[in-house]
Amino acid sequence: MKKISRRTFAKSTSVGIVAAAAIPTVEAQQKQSAAIVTDPGVPRTTIRLTVNGVNRRVEVEDRWTLVELLRDHLHLTGTKIGCDRGECGACTVLVDATPLYSCSQLAVWMDGRSIQTVEGLAKNGKLDPLQEAFIEHDAPQCGYCTSGQLMIAKALLMKNAHPTRDEVRTAMTGNVCRCSNYNHYVEAVLAAGGTAPSTGGGNA
Amino acid sequence: MTPLKTVGHATHRIDALQRVTGGAKYTNDIQLPGMLYARVLRSPHPHARIRKIGLTKALALPGVKAILTHENCDIVWNSGDQLGQRKLFNNPVRFAGDPVAAIAATNRHIAEDATHLIEVDYEILPFLTDLEEALKPGAVPIHTGGNLSLNNQRQPQPQTYKRGNVADGLKAADRVFEDNFTSAHHNNAQLEIRVSVAEWSGDKLTVHAATQGIANCRTDIARDLKIPVENVRVISEYMGGGFGNKNQNQDSDLMAAMLAKQAGAPVKLEFTRKEDFVAVHGRWSSRQSYKVGVKNDGTLTAIQMTALTGAGAYRKGSCDLAGTEIYQVPNLETSVSPVYTNTAVAANYRAPAYPQAVFGIESLMDDVAYALKMDPLEFRLKNMTRKFRDQTPYTSIGLEDCIRKGAEKFEWTRRWKPVPGSGAGPVKRGAGMAMGMFGSSLGRSSAVVRLDGQGQYHLHVGVTDVGTAAKTTMGLIAAQELGVPLQKVSVVWGDTDTCPYSVGESGSRTTVQTGMAVIEAVRDLKKQIADKGAPKGSDVLTAMATTNPQPLAGVSRNSFVAHFAEVEVNVETGHVIVTKFVAAHDSGRVVNPLTAQSQVQGGSIQGIGMALHEELLYDKRSGLPLNAGYYGARIMTHLDAPLVDVVWVETDEPYGPFGAKTLGEPTIIPTVAAVANAVHNAIGKRVKNLPITRDKILQVLAQKETLA
Repeated sequence: MKKISRRTFAKSTSVGIVAAAAIPTVEAQQKQSAAIVTDPGVPRTTIRLTVNGVNRRVEVEDRWTLVELLRDHLHLTGTKIGCDRGECGACTVLVDATPLYSCSQLAVWMDGRSIQTVEGLAKNGKLDPLQEAFIEHDAPQCGYCTSGQLMIAKALLMKNAHPTRDEVRTAMTGNVCRCSNYNHYVEAVLAAGGTAPSTGGGNA
Repeated sequence: MTPLKTVGHATHRIDALQRVTGGAKYTNDIQLPGMLYARVLRSPHPHARIRKIGLTKALALPGVKAILTHENCDIVWNSGDQLGQRKLFNNPVRFAGDPVAAIAATNRHIAEDATHLIEVDYEILPFLTDLEEALKPGAVPIHTGGNLSLNNQRQPQPQTYKRGNVADGLKAADRVFEDNFTSAHHNNAQLEIRVSVAEWSGDKLTVHAATQGIANCRTDIARDLKIPVENVRVISEYMGGGFGNKNQNQDSDLMAAMLAKQAGAPVKLEFTRKEDFVAVHGRWSSRQSYKVGVKNDGTLTAIQMTALTGAGAYRKGSCDLAGTEIYQVPNLETSVSPVYTNTAVAANYRAPAYPQAVFGIESLMDDVAYALKMDPLEFRLKNMTRKFRDQTPYTSIGLEDCIRKGAEKFEWTRRWKPVPGSGAGPVKRGAGMAMGMFGSSLGRSSAVVRLDGQGQYHLHVGVTDVGTAAKTTMGLIAAQELGVPLQKVSVVWGDTDTCPYSVGESGSRTTVQTGMAVIEAVRDLKKQIADKGAPKGSDVLTAMATTNPQPLAGVSRNSFVAHFAEVEVNVETGHVIVTKFVAAHDSGRVVNPLTAQSQVQGGSIQGIGMALHEELLYDKRSGLPLNAGYYGARIMTHLDAPLVDVVWVETDEPYGPFGAKTLGEPTIIPTVAAVANAVHNAIGKRVKNLPITRDKILQVLAQKETLA
């Protein structure tokens, strides 16, 4: 896995997220209520990590998962927990550009890593083309798996800008959508990747 | 059908931006100052009496703030059992997963640790997992009165329906067919885990609930806690799916409320994914026996169905079966008996009584058609319903068009094999179809619409939007009736403090029932504007309406559907792939073709999972669930999902908002049967027990005898 260099790390500290008023910013989410009461008897470690381009130094309990850190302590609740056991993909985030289930990573392992969550997709007030395509193609139904679907699709498009339908389905198959809006999710990713979705046909 | 300006055009969800940016706040995203976290301890045994619960060690753990057990909490959870037999904590416990204690602590790790410190002394009781064994004389009674549950009129008899005389009908038949089919318990498996956040302020309770209906949830909480309804506020801003398992209030809502009361602090109670599979509910399993009488020309003379359904340990759902009404037949008898076992509770899952029963009847009708050397499609066109229960005219019926247009899109004549199993192999193709119908539930709904001095309309509706785009639909209906663009209508939803009563998103009735209230309120507002003029500055005009539709006299209002599936079956491995799927729907006028398409594709794909692999398995020897979770229960994934082509048959429907009929649930009704019939067409053998897994396919292929 690609380690973040000192220079990128330093550079990233000055990068903030600027987003249009309608898009909830990372900062807005952080202004929420106080952190959860933690347990004094539990081993803790201080880590440095980058979250959505913001450099952070956090003291974490060694038993916290990454999704717990993001949701409960950094108040980035866009990342969802669907199973908390590595089955559904709702908690998918990018760690140094690699998609990972954040329920299955310990927060202490994130020392020196760069995390991107759904809240970091929109840049300078502009939605990511994937987000636009998700709206256009009605990809989210209940929306609970959507953040994970966005992040796995983002990882795919970063590696393969113009995937085929089957490449999309294969890459995203670890992300369950129980509303089963799989057709629209795939269409949206194909559209964002500039590959016109085919109509009709079957599984082939 | 006259085209309309707003309704009927593909429209993005009004909250789409929140859904793609992580800005949508679901119940589990709520964090309150000083909030405690709660976990539930559940029975590891399928049936046991609790002799003693020791809390000393758990209470001594620093951070533990409150513990509920059956000893200090005897609240009855009425939505958890229609017969009032279920408390929050039961003794005896009746299934592996029945709650024994709930613990609130300063964080979720302490709450989790505390569950391991509670000492429970169980007296193990005999248990039952099988429906037929549960009915044998001498079987251990799971409830007083035995294991045969009451019917939906609370009588100790099966649920029955009868018209004509089946014995006469069978006598008049040239041929009589008999067969048995079974279906499995399978889970709703919505992505959002069950979670409730409860907070008391004096005697006022606020519950952030993941619910399909804030209004029902509120009245249910008040009823169960025996507090005035006006003291309860329910908020559900965004909701992560339910497909029927988030109707009414949840035991988690009540537990969170009682823990919060005991601890004097807000409490968030989260269930785990495993708890969601074993301790919430899934679709009831079934054992169906049929007799069908038919003339040589293919005319049906009689249908008889006798069935057992698996209620699980409590009676949460109707446990009924439906599907035979899709056929025109003078003599019909159905009899359904819900049975208790010591397994996961069964209740509503998308068209609760339908897809498993339609699988049974449509599998058998397929066999009848083949035996009479008829095309199954022609057989259905000949015998499909023309009047509801052969008596009452439909307000509109597009079933024949669904079959014909669906078949055309599917290329039925090219894909269907007159001789089943005639493909060369080892990968054999086959095609199947099935049909279904659904009438939406009725219910009371209200809507409030306000026009401000700046010309913006504010529509208050008590919907939560379970993923169906209900908020957008309500906005579109209001905008259409007002004659303004959707942007001029702000929809307010999801909070009982700001929204009037709505029927709740179950029974596929939000569009048709709450939609009528929206239209009525808008009409009143328009009248006020005409009388008084539009408000200026800080003035407002407000209108409201409550509608309570009753069954229509002399007519029946139903949606119709036909699904077509093509499969490839590898006869060496038993592996099935759905290679083509067409879903043809008559839901009257389609309010929003974009989100409606999502519904149809999603429902169909869920149905394919039900047909081919989804099931919650129990070990007969231990009475324990074996495969709770997404992987184990083989929930549909991206790679399992075929493309679903949607065909709309928009009938001219005289009732409902702009002629809209019901949609959400019909999408899964004939899917299972269509896939099952396609598998049969491919391999020439029929699997009669859902799900149609590889082992069952290989088993029927190994059998020597061929079909009649």
